[in-house]
Amino acid sequence: MKKSSLVFNSSSRAMNTSVAGHQVSQSSRHKWNFAGSQTRRNSILVGGSNRKRNILDRNANQAPRKPVRVLDNDGNDVTPLPLYHAEPGDMPSKPGRFLDEIFSSSESDQLKSTSSFNMRSFGSFLGSSLPSSLSTTASMTKGTEDSVPKLDIPIIPPPPCGQRKRDNVKQHVTEEMLDDVVDVCLTETDTISLFDLPPLIFMSEDADDTKAIKERNLQYAELCKNRTGNDKYVERSMQTFSGAPKEKQIQTDKIVMVDEGTFATIWDIYDSFCDQNKNPESEKANNPETTVNTSKGHEKRGEKSSSTLSIGSTIGSLLEMETCSLNAESNPELIMLTESFQHSLLVMERSIVANLFQPKLAAYRQLPIIKDPDSTVKPETEEKSEEGEESSSSPTLERLWAFSCELTRGWNITCMVWNKENPDLLAVAYGDCDSTNQKPSLICCWSLKNPTWPERVFHCHSCVTSLDFSANNPSQLAVGMYDGTIAIYTVQSRNNIHCIANSSECSKRHLKPVWQVNWSKQEITLSGEDRVEALVAVSADGRITKWLLCSNGLECIDLMKLKKTKNSKKKAVESKKKTEHMGSALTPGLCMDFHPTDSSVYLVGTWEGLIQKCSVANCHNVLETYQNHFCPVNSIEWSPFSPDVFLSCSSDWTIQLWKQECLTPVLSFTSAQRAVYAVRWSPNWSTIFAAINGLQVEIWDLNLSILHPTIVHQAAPGVTVTSVLFSRGTDCVLVGDSEGQVTVYQLKNLSVGQGKQVTKAVNT
Amino acid sequence: MAEVEETLKRIQSQNGVQGIIIVNTEGIPIKTTLDNASTVQYAGLIHQLVMKARSTVRDIDPQNDLTFLRVRSKKNEIMIAPDKDYFLIVIQNPSD
Repeated sequence: MKKSSLVFNSSSRAMNTSVAGHQVSQSSRHKWNFAGSQTRRNSILVGGSNRKRNILDRNANQAPRKPVRVLDNDGNDVTPLPLYHAEPGDMPSKPGRFLDEIFSSSESDQLKSTSSFNMRSFGSFLGSSLPSSLSTTASMTKGTEDSVPKLDIPIIPPPPCGQRKRDNVKQHVTEEMLDDVVDVCLTETDTISLFDLPPLIFMSEDADDTKAIKERNLQYAELCKNRTGNDKYVERSMQTFSGAPKEKQIQTDKIVMVDEGTFATIWDIYDSFCDQNKNPESEKANNPETTVNTSKGHEKRGEKSSSTLSIGSTIGSLLEMETCSLNAESNPELIMLTESFQHSLLVMERSIVANLFQPKLAAYRQLPIIKDPDSTVKPETEEKSEEGEESSSSPTLERLWAFSCELTRGWNITCMVWNKENPDLLAVAYGDCDSTNQKPSLICCWSLKNPTWPERVFHCHSCVTSLDFSANNPSQLAVGMYDGTIAIYTVQSRNNIHCIANSSECSKRHLKPVWQVNWSKQEITLSGEDRVEALVAVSADGRITKWLLCSNGLECIDLMKLKKTKNSKKKAVESKKKTEHMGSALTPGLCMDFHPTDSSVYLVGTWEGLIQKCSVANCHNVLETYQNHFCPVNSIEWSPFSPDVFLSCSSDWTIQLWKQECLTPVLSFTSAQRAVYAVRWSPNWSTIFAAINGLQVEIWDLNLSILHPTIVHQAAPGVTVTSVLFSRGTDCVLVGDSEGQVTVYQLKNLSVGQGKQVTKAVNT
Repeated sequence: MAEVEETLKRIQSQNGVQGIIIVNTEGIPIKTTLDNASTVQYAGLIHQLVMKARSTVRDIDPQNDLTFLRVRSKKNEIMIAPDKDYFLIVIQNPSD
């Protein structure tokens, strides 16, 4: 829509739109006033009816503009003054053709017509004129390219003619006029159509429904035409009541938002899965508070976790589970009494001790000793140790540690033995072999993992003289005592009964001290698989008995009776013995050893100094008699490497090396002039054996020397060494003394060759 | 019970042992040889560590479980024996 400014030429016309307004102030009623307004309207109407004419003429030519002059009845010039006075230099407006034409044409009509008009005629005129204008516009739009009719609405600037009004008023208003009653008639103007935008829809002539649409348009136009004055259409007005607004307030509790999170860890899922498969009823019974939904176990744990801790939901879920079970064990005492706690204590103690003993144990196990990088060892001690290392290049015993504790202090050690299956387990017997009064004795089972406290402690009523672990049942420990009792202990569990068998009820039990007990594997049994182990004991009453574990205890069978032999050389001794003969024809056996490979053959060392080789099968006759010692044979042992060689030691200060076939000893060793109480072969090297003779420990290496022991280790003053034991697999030797200490020594700088047989050494 | 007490005494008397703490599952110390402040601190911190360690072990293999945990530091070593119902914590300085 183009806006154009309508420039009224002041000379051409004078229009005063405010005339109507100021007509009120005028005292005289002038007909022309009404006419004036009507004139305007009429002019518009006329303009509307003549629009067609005007528009048609528009393109042709511009209507010549005549100066318009309006005269009233009296002949006064009441030509409306123009509202807008064009200033010089203003843009020449486009010719407001519409209104121009209106006014140009209207004046000619107006001049012709009279002033009195009827409203109704206006209405009808208006009504008749409007459709025509609409139709014209409709037709126009079809014809013209430019669909938008050029409607020029004059922008009527605010009249700068206020002065003019006043001027007018000044002329006419008098005092009398002011007091007059003025009738004011307000009428409503008809609708002035300022803008008419016809439908923009282009109808293509070829479309199918074009015709239908055109018809409908025509119908509608007809309808609008018929609407006025038609009884079918009644004007009505409606009023909707707007309800009074009312305020209403609601208050709710604040919705609390809580963040929840959970970790779905692998073990959490696994636990839930496992618990699902467990009995769900029992769980519900135990935990009435927590509702365990077995179908959603995992998610439930997640929810449980959120309610407990904020540290982490993994911790939360664990704790929740634990708190459920905590109902049972809230008492700290109960916790400490549980099995697992005691086990934890055990492991803890071992760890602590291992920390302390680590270098020693490493040396024992022949591992490299790791120096603690954080230890605050003073440099002086380091120097000392270095010096020590440099000086001793000769074979020596290095003390590693000692098994000792409060419990065992002061006891005399009588026997030490390793467990056959667990090489870290050591059984030690403490006791005083005093024939006068029977003192209770002690058996302690030590573990290498804890040298400060024994794992098991057994109390025996009599002095224990011999120990041996079983090979078939590694937890069984056979005990031979001074009063002749033989017992079998089990070392397995802490709390159960330890002694599982006792020979005190056997009728054929020994009444004299049992000096040695041995488990030995016998011949293949009927089943052919397991070799039955027999417990064989040698006692001071001269019997060698084989014990069997029956349902009601131990039963024994005599294997051999050690008969005293007549020794023609020593008649004095014989005579003494003759007197004893009356009492018993048996001589005490002090030690025995089974052949390592042929378990039916065994050697017995007797009080007389004889060594007798016997057979299990033959219980009457001796196979061989080795005679050389003239004092009681204290210890006898087959060599673990050479099957025919054995060692014997006796109170006659000698150690004899025998070969099985030869009835005289092959070698004889003497070092100190004291009775040799024990001799042991080393299980690691074939030519090394250890011997103790009360005040010192001697290590003999047959490769190096057969005259002197390679290592001589003196015991501490006042302490007698009573027992010696080698340990398999390591180069350590254990020495038990009369103070209750089992000291572990490491053989240092011993250049030993492996695999050399003693026989070769002997033969060379 | 006496045996347990005796064992605890033995452990306490070992060379370099600085303290023993027994904590129940809720993190409350049942028995301790250290002062209260240290005990509470140890209990709280070690609890978290053990939970994390156990979680790690079980994440790798859910059928596995943590049996013992040792933390060696410059000044001492903390040994923890965890269980379902308790933690046993021992602090030792082995070079003493």
